Amino acid sequence: MSRSRVVGLAALLLVVSLPLRAQEPEQQDRMAKLDIKTRGAVELLVDSAVAEGLPTQPLRSIALLGITRKADGRQIVAAVRRELILLRTARTALGRVDETELTAAAAVLEAGAKPTQLATFKNKQRGRSDLQAFTVWADLITRGVPGEDASSAITRLWDEGADDATFVSLWNNVQSDILRGLNPGTALQNRIREAPLRPPTTKGPQTPEGQENARSE
Amino acid sequence: MNEPKVAILVFTAALTLPAYGGLAAQIASKIEAGQYSVSDGAVPSSSVLRLTPNIQYTFPHATITARGSAFLSDQQLQIADGIVSGTFTSPTVYGVRAEMIGNASRAMDDRSLGTDQVDVQTRVHVLFRTHGGMWLGGGVARPWRVAVVSSAEVTDVGAWGKLGDVTTKFGMATLTTTFTNFSFSKTASVHDTGSASLSCAMTPASVASVMSLGSEARPVFSESPVAGACARQSRFSDLEAMLRWEVGALELSAAMGHRFGDSYDVTPDSRRWTSANATLWLNERVAIIGGGGRQPALPLRGLPARTFWMTGLQLAYAPISKTAVPVALPHTVLVKSFEMKPGASGMQKIVIRVGGVETVDVMGDFSDWSPLTLIRRGRDLWELALPLSAGVHQINVRVDGGQWVPPPGMPLMRDGFNGEVGLLVVPK
Repeated sequence: MSRSRVVGLAALLLVVSLPLRAQEPEQQDRMAKLDIKTRGAVELLVDSAVAEGLPTQPLRSIALLGITRKADGRQIVAAVRRELILLRTARTALGRVDETELTAAAAVLEAGAKPTQLATFKNKQRGRSDLQAFTVWADLITRGVPGEDASSAITRLWDEGADDATFVSLWNNVQSDILRGLNPGTALQNRIREAPLRPPTTKGPQTPEGQENARSE
Repeated sequence: MNEPKVAILVFTAALTLPAYGGLAAQIASKIEAGQYSVSDGAVPSSSVLRLTPNIQYTFPHATITARGSAFLSDQQLQIADGIVSGTFTSPTVYGVRAEMIGNASRAMDDRSLGTDQVDVQTRVHVLFRTHGGMWLGGGVARPWRVAVVSSAEVTDVGAWGKLGDVTTKFGMATLTTTFTNFSFSKTASVHDTGSASLSCAMTPASVASVMSLGSEARPVFSESPVAGACARQSRFSDLEAMLRWEVGALELSAAMGHRFGDSYDVTPDSRRWTSANATLWLNERVAIIGGGGRQPALPLRGLPARTFWMTGLQLAYAPISKTAVPVALPHTVLVKSFEMKPGASGMQKIVIRVGGVETVDVMGDFSDWSPLTLIRRGRDLWELALPLSAGVHQINVRVDGGQWVPPPGMPLMRDGFNGEVGLLVVPK
């Protein structure tokens, strides 16, 4: 490789990496608004996440949100610690999953779901995303749907092979019923009965169409 | 059925109305109950229980308010005053907004003599985002059952400024200054007591002598008083400054004013006034209130100057919206829709529809919770392209520098700091 090509490649790498490097100091600058004690505590928690192989971006994001909300240092550290525990719990429940899924699962736990209720999502079909299901789940609990009801509705839909559109449709209907004044739990029960379902495609070999009928005859 | 019973029935019906569906979010109603003491010099001070229902229907560009007060004294409930107001505001275009206000009111003096008034006013507001503004307005007030006053022309000019934010340590302070001019013809009688009768009692010769002295007080009245009465033009102006400070659960407000005008139109006890009020919210529906001070005379209503103090409890049927700013600012309910569309080069385009506002901002984990301002693409269309990675993102939106809220039509969750954030799913 000629010298000019090496220089060109280096220049290209520098240009490409500039926005990434520029963002990091910016985040650091905002973190500098924290007092030394709080910042030290947050950094310790971030280091723990790194050591455990957990994502660190959600922790930094919580700290920055706390700064924006003008929360005091103690509240910020408590929120970051809580997020770390939730991420840890989510990974125990789901196993090794990617960062986005782990963060979404932590949001469900933050809303009030139990770790055992996440177990349904541990072994999912390749290519199937549970992000929308988690988002709707967290929202339903936040809006006042009892945790058990929300959990059983979401896991039932998931087990039955519901797609993203089904979850979004359920959420739309339930939240509009709640806004109209219906009890959140009742709104979910009413709407879950109407939710269009697809036959599950993930659970073992499927029975050939008509075979069950043939057997029963 | 007598008047108090009708009023109680109407207010009870209005207070139960919010129970039905979507109107609930648009209604605020409250009742104040406590001791209210008034003295105006002539009448000895009295302490009575005061009930002040207040019902407000808020629409995107209109507000209808009905409020009143009643005194419970000697086992009898008596209506003290009542007002129905309608305010219509135009969308804001380059920081300019028009406002039309209509009021119909009744005021009772000493719970026996009542006066009615209808007034209409238009104002043009210039807003400096949500941090301050000024206005110029004019209108007509038509009183009834006030023997000495005809309809009045009212012009006013005001300015306001806001410092801080309700979420900051020192809260938010709003300072408002107004200058209001009243001009009306007054019918004075020689049988009146006080300065009003002086103009009738004066002969043309004595008027000439007053004018030749260059007095500031120059009464202008009809040349031939009929049956011991005369009509003359009255004019006075009020300069008033009001400060409102909100810090945490405490709201403090104070006002002071000065009335300009000649001695025929302004009595000495109405030259200057001050008053202060405090509200301590125990929760979003219950507050302890207290205050006192001096109110100037209201010649258009035939009400004398008075000293008052009050203390009591305020109960709100629905959470009361705080309105420190003397102009209806756009609410978050104006956000009609929020959408995310795939854009070019892996970007995601945020599309928000909201009318009548000057700025729309979003912030979220993708911006390290720093505000990003959307670009106006149409009358009510705002857009911003963002490099959002696949996954779940937290997002909030605000209009005109107001409160950060989750975007409408989007799942939400609590954020760990007593707030809520919207959840935006970017598919993988």
